Amino acid sequence: MLEVKNLNVSYGKLQILWDVSMQIGNESVGLFGPNGAGKTTLINAILGIVRPISGEITLDGESLLKMETDKIIKHGIAVVPQDRELFPMMTVLENLRTGCAYIPRAKKKYKERLEYVFAMFPILKERLDQPAGSMSGGQQRMVSIARALMADPKVLILDEPSGGLQPSIVTEVFHGLKEIKKNVSVLVTEQNVRQALKAIDRGYILEDGKIAMADTAQNLAGNDHIRKSYLGI
Amino acid sequence: MKYWKYLICAVLLIVAVSLPKFIGVYPLQMANIILIYMALALSWDMLLRTGQLSFGIAGFFGLGGYATMLTSTYFGFNPLLSLMAAAITAGLVAALVGYSVLRLRALYFAIVTLALGEIFRVIAQNLEITGGTEGMLLKQTMFKGDAASTYWVMLAIGVLTIIISIIFQKTRIHYASTSIRNDEIVAASSGVNIFKYLVIIFAVTSAIQGLVGGAYVQLYGFVEPTATTFSINFVLMPITMALLGGLYTTWGPVIGAVLLSVIAESLKLRIPYGHLLVYGIIMVVGILWFPGGIMGFIKKMFKISNQ
Repeated sequence: MLEVKNLNVSYGKLQILWDVSMQIGNESVGLFGPNGAGKTTLINAILGIVRPISGEITLDGESLLKMETDKIIKHGIAVVPQDRELFPMMTVLENLRTGCAYIPRAKKKYKERLEYVFAMFPILKERLDQPAGSMSGGQQRMVSIARALMADPKVLILDEPSGGLQPSIVTEVFHGLKEIKKNVSVLVTEQNVRQALKAIDRGYILEDGKIAMADTAQNLAGNDHIRKSYLGI
Repeated sequence: MKYWKYLICAVLLIVAVSLPKFIGVYPLQMANIILIYMALALSWDMLLRTGQLSFGIAGFFGLGGYATMLTSTYFGFNPLLSLMAAAITAGLVAALVGYSVLRLRALYFAIVTLALGEIFRVIAQNLEITGGTEGMLLKQTMFKGDAASTYWVMLAIGVLTIIISIIFQKTRIHYASTSIRNDEIVAASSGVNIFKYLVIIFAVTSAIQGLVGGAYVQLYGFVEPTATTFSINFVLMPITMALLGGLYTTWGPVIGAVLLSVIAESLKLRIPYGHLLVYGIIMVVGILWFPGGIMGFIKKMFKISNQ
């Protein structure tokens, strides 16, 4: 279980996150909020890219706070960063290899992981030798998610997975998410709340750096504030 | 296809090893120069694959040269042992310095590496045991100056550099280098320990530069801090060779070194001093017309023919 407790993060004197707490068990959890609410900052704090001023982040009871990013990844967190997901000059296969090359646990299961991601995204098997940068936006997103899954993670973090994709591809990505959550805990930040609520179990609303609401996907979809502010109903 | 590659490499190696039986002393000296610049260009490129631009080639080259001179003179090391001392000294110093300077990126790192070379030079110039501004003479060059034997040592260093470069490209060091160069956050998010890989690659490439510097001193028998051992030529020439041959490849810097060394040498004989001008024009035109270097051009041609 990934647990964030009373997390406070600031950039210099500007505090971004205020007392943020959340839990992700064997489920998929959404993190929603307007631009500038602190979603990416929270992800960066979980990954050790930004150091919090106070609070705690644990994975299966072990603190991640003093770990470097690569150690946190080796510990079982994989991430698909927003807008900077893959290595465009590398082939699809090379991109997938980088996903597990530095994680001993995943490296041992290389073939097994490869079969797992091919089952999820069959198109990748046909494009193994193609430079990832020459693929369509949707296929690139698949490569980046597949690369993160190659790490055999306990928790997969997806930062705005639908960003810049056409609607039909977005549906495909969220369909993939439903498959992924069968085996991996998922934390997804998303602007497309309507689509995301169909794919997740629970959600948190982050506004002005504070958790404004936490509930099941079903309850969030029926909440007036969410309907008005995020679904445009 | 792979077997053909191995076969071509084996034939080239046999030809290279047997070269002293067919050519005279001057062409062998020329081959030594090519091998020196080839190893420097390739080692510089290996670090550049991580996105880190180094101007410290001459610094580590000179450091290796002085390590060879000092261990031979004061400790009586035999030539091969003194070469090992050169590589280890440069590698260790790079690893130690790397712990602080590899936090820097882009031009900041480049400037610091340039400054490092200057620091090494000033130290060598001001210490009595290094011979001060006059430098030092080696009591005896390796193999008593025998052209064939010294050539084989230089060839071994060249081949070793190529092998290390290939290892860097065939193992996970390749993924680490490329991902660090592309995007450090994505690299770290893939579990790459960026700092560890940068230190390792910086130390290994500096060790190669130190080894080449040591071999240079064993070849010519002297160190001199101002115009020779820390010469800016050992920064500019390898960089232009790698640029012309093609960056981020093993064979690009090799081709660039062979081509530019041969051109420079033949021009030197035909147009005394004017060769530098012609040489510069060739570099500018080459880089303008082949931005990906010769290897990039070859790859492009193959791609076109495939289509």
